[in-house]
Amino acid sequence: MATLKLEGLRKEYGRTVALEGTDLSLGDGEFFVLLGPSGAGKTTTLKCIAGLEEPTAGRVEIGGRDMTGVEPYHRNVAMAFENYALYPQKSVFDNMSFPLKSKRYAVSGEEARKRVERVAETLNIPHLLQRLPRELSGGQKQRVALGRVLVRPADILLLDEPLSHLDAKLQMEMRAELRSLGDMQGTTSFYVSHDYREALALGDRIGVLHKGKLHQVGTPEKIWHRPADTFVARALGQPEMNLIPGAAVSGAGGRVFRSRDGEIEVPLQGNPEVSEGTEVELGIRPLDLDLADGEPRPDTVEMSGSVYVVERLGRELEVTVTVGEHRIAAITNDAGARPGDRVRLRFPASKLHLFDGESCRRLEQEAGVMDRG
Amino acid sequence: MSATTADDRAPKKVSSGRRALRPYLLTLPALLLTIGILYPFGLGVFYTFFDYSASNPQPGFIGLENYTNMFASSDFWSSALVTFEYAIGTTVIETMLGVAVALLLYRGSLVSGVLEKVLILPLMIAPVIATIMWNLMLQPSIGVVNYLLSPFGLGGIEWTDSPGLALFSMIMIDVWVFTPFVAILALAGMRSLPRDPFEAASVDGAGYWYTFRRLMLPMLWPYILVAVIFRFMDSLKMFDIIYALTQGGPGDSTMVLQVRAYQDAILFTSFSQGLAYMVVLWAIVFGITRILVGVLGRAQARAAGAS
Amino acid sequence: MESTKAPTSNERPGGGLREVAINLLTILYFAFALFPVFWMIIVSLKPSNELFSTYFFFHPTFDSYRTVLGLAGDSGVPFVRFFMNSLVISIGAVLLSLIIGIPAAYAFARFHFRGSKDLLFTILSFRFAPELMVIIPLYVIYQKLGLFDTYIGMIWVMQLVTIPMIVWILRSYFQDLTPELEQSALLDGYTRIQAFMRVAAPLVRPGIAAVALLSFIFAWNNFVFPLILTSSNAQTVTVGSLTFLGGNRPNYNLTAAAALVAAVPPLILALSIQRYLVRGLSFGAVKG
Repeated sequence: MATLKLEGLRKEYGRTVALEGTDLSLGDGEFFVLLGPSGAGKTTTLKCIAGLEEPTAGRVEIGGRDMTGVEPYHRNVAMAFENYALYPQKSVFDNMSFPLKSKRYAVSGEEARKRVERVAETLNIPHLLQRLPRELSGGQKQRVALGRVLVRPADILLLDEPLSHLDAKLQMEMRAELRSLGDMQGTTSFYVSHDYREALALGDRIGVLHKGKLHQVGTPEKIWHRPADTFVARALGQPEMNLIPGAAVSGAGGRVFRSRDGEIEVPLQGNPEVSEGTEVELGIRPLDLDLADGEPRPDTVEMSGSVYVVERLGRELEVTVTVGEHRIAAITNDAGARPGDRVRLRFPASKLHLFDGESCRRLEQEAGVMDRG
Repeated sequence: MSATTADDRAPKKVSSGRRALRPYLLTLPALLLTIGILYPFGLGVFYTFFDYSASNPQPGFIGLENYTNMFASSDFWSSALVTFEYAIGTTVIETMLGVAVALLLYRGSLVSGVLEKVLILPLMIAPVIATIMWNLMLQPSIGVVNYLLSPFGLGGIEWTDSPGLALFSMIMIDVWVFTPFVAILALAGMRSLPRDPFEAASVDGAGYWYTFRRLMLPMLWPYILVAVIFRFMDSLKMFDIIYALTQGGPGDSTMVLQVRAYQDAILFTSFSQGLAYMVVLWAIVFGITRILVGVLGRAQARAAGAS
Repeated sequence: MESTKAPTSNERPGGGLREVAINLLTILYFAFALFPVFWMIIVSLKPSNELFSTYFFFHPTFDSYRTVLGLAGDSGVPFVRFFMNSLVISIGAVLLSLIIGIPAAYAFARFHFRGSKDLLFTILSFRFAPELMVIIPLYVIYQKLGLFDTYIGMIWVMQLVTIPMIVWILRSYFQDLTPELEQSALLDGYTRIQAFMRVAAPLVRPGIAAVALLSFIFAWNNFVFPLILTSSNAQTVTVGSLTFLGGNRPNYNLTAAAALVAAVPPLILALSIQRYLVRGLSFGAVKG
């Protein structure tokens, strides 16, 4: 178990910058998830930590020790690859016991057998030990890859999208297993994914990566409730957070948000640190939106529009409403909505997000507001 | 599974400089070998600017005289002509025949299963040996070929002794040896093609030849092109077959460039002169290879986009 | 090469005639391809007195083979010696090429480094270079160095044939290997060399074997190098097979026997590399 620290980690491939000066600190035993779309630089980060790639600048510290120039086999790091990377000509048992035959992690044959069997039990694959990788299903291969990583001691566990090639149902099962495994092992884990649901479910903390830049690091609550910019805001949530461009203007009782087409006006609480006329974007998550009926309630904001399309998502509906020139998505249980209906969308004022129109960064609505998460 | 911390002693470090050195160390022996081969090559080019021969072991510098003499001599041009005739003849015939054979095997028949296994046989026989075989068969009076042709009234053909036919015979031997090369590549290409376009064409009612011309051939192009490049380049420098059959005769009618160089440099020991022939041949081959490889690259890219 | 169903086959009525035609044409080609070998076998089995008298009907005998192989007294041609020379030189050349070529191919496949492209294409250019361009200067150099007509001299020059093949084809095989396998081994505590030996090498072993055999075949079949750079000592079987043809009364049956003996090793080896043929022949340009 050890801490992990990335200082100014930067990686360039020729003229392409894969990672821009990243700083990150993981505590001992922390389960960290790096979230980002493909090409964001997640795998590059993992490879730099593992020592499979040399950073162009910056450094990696494991357990307080500078790892610059240290070969992978000296770093005491374990990694599960996205494509499993199982040795094709070896049986599952041989795959999992392979690390235990290296000089570094060598144990007696008896001890190796015990460990492999124990890990196989934990992962529910003891019956597969004599099979070859080509005879295994995706889920089984993924467990073997995990097993290989767990049989030997490691300071840091690196997991590169291990669940991305599994079907949805299996993904959910494995997610739960991974989390419980993580708790059991207590090894500092660095998990990489493009699926925000995995990130929210697994991570002690989440880092959002985009084009090599870390946009925000925080607990799942913080990332969800207080996204640092529009990218982070849209990265989590399906459908994405609704973003309405507009400006902050003066209005009754303080600042008011007015959308570009003038259709939407929302009073902004408190004293937002934004000057008159600044371009801003208003964000509101579909989950926080509802179809209103009856009287407007206090501390809520309403918008009127007509239903564009309704999609059934199991028990809920995704209703897209046209408000002015905007399409707003809402998740609701109200089964009565039909395309063309005139409806009122309603959301609690506290769930409102505000972002600077140019920098896309989050704007606090109340001065001196405490960090809730 | 208790995880232990990293080594208590500080982990060994490898400087990035040393790491960058690795590929160079791995390729060092190859580099040395390459230099070892380039040396005689460079020496050869060097010699062409002198009048080096066995009778003149202390050669003097004569600049481009070897080349000017060579380009002025009809010997060179007739050699060049024969070389190109040979190369074009063999490549064209082998390509067409090879693709045809591949089609036959691909289409499949009662005999194709068994016969495909021996497709490679002629290719594995050294061209010299093949020439010996055919030489035996083509002997005018006692060779079996004329014997088999005599019922058709074609017996008594002087396969190797008449200038026109000698070249034809050599081309035929080359075709015999190397057609399997084209066929194997084309067959592999055919088998690697995706099914869907063909099924769609079949549903649309496309005929056999139309499908072949418009659909299969364009997709096979990279494979065929590889075969063509290899065959053409190799035919330009063919030595074995010519030497073993007629040594360039009758007269000079089959004196391809490399055989001429052999004659000049080894038999007549005019090293510089023979080398001049080789430099020109090498330049031709080099130039054409560059062009064809470029064409191949584009063809492969196009085929990759189509699939 | 397994047979797959042709996607262009439309089974139409009147297909019977088509079947016949295809079978016929196929047989026609293979008759052309196989007859010379068949004929050579016949000639090699003919006793000398029946060489010119009949074509297909004769009393077969192994005398020619016995003479060629030196089992029936001295034929004047040390053919077995030539055979051994071919063996030594071909095996030696392939071994040297493997030692030099495998690390180079691996480096070309895995690393990008300055000069790699140039070196790679220079090696490829050896495949297409006219041999005499190198042989003629070597003829002079070898005389001076005492390498003329020696095993070492021949093994060295044979690299021109074997190295391009081994480097280019193995590079193609190494490129096929996902780097993750070796990376996984690195993290599991193995050094780079160990990771290569225990993970990468076993996976390309069949490819290495195939390319070694293919290179052996082309080294064995080579004619130009031994023709010029050897005389009696290190002469190979390809050059040696021509010697029976010399003189007033060329010994056709001896020649046939010699030619067949010279052709046998490549033929036997070819049977074992069927699967790797396409990639081997095209130098990795095309995967079978």
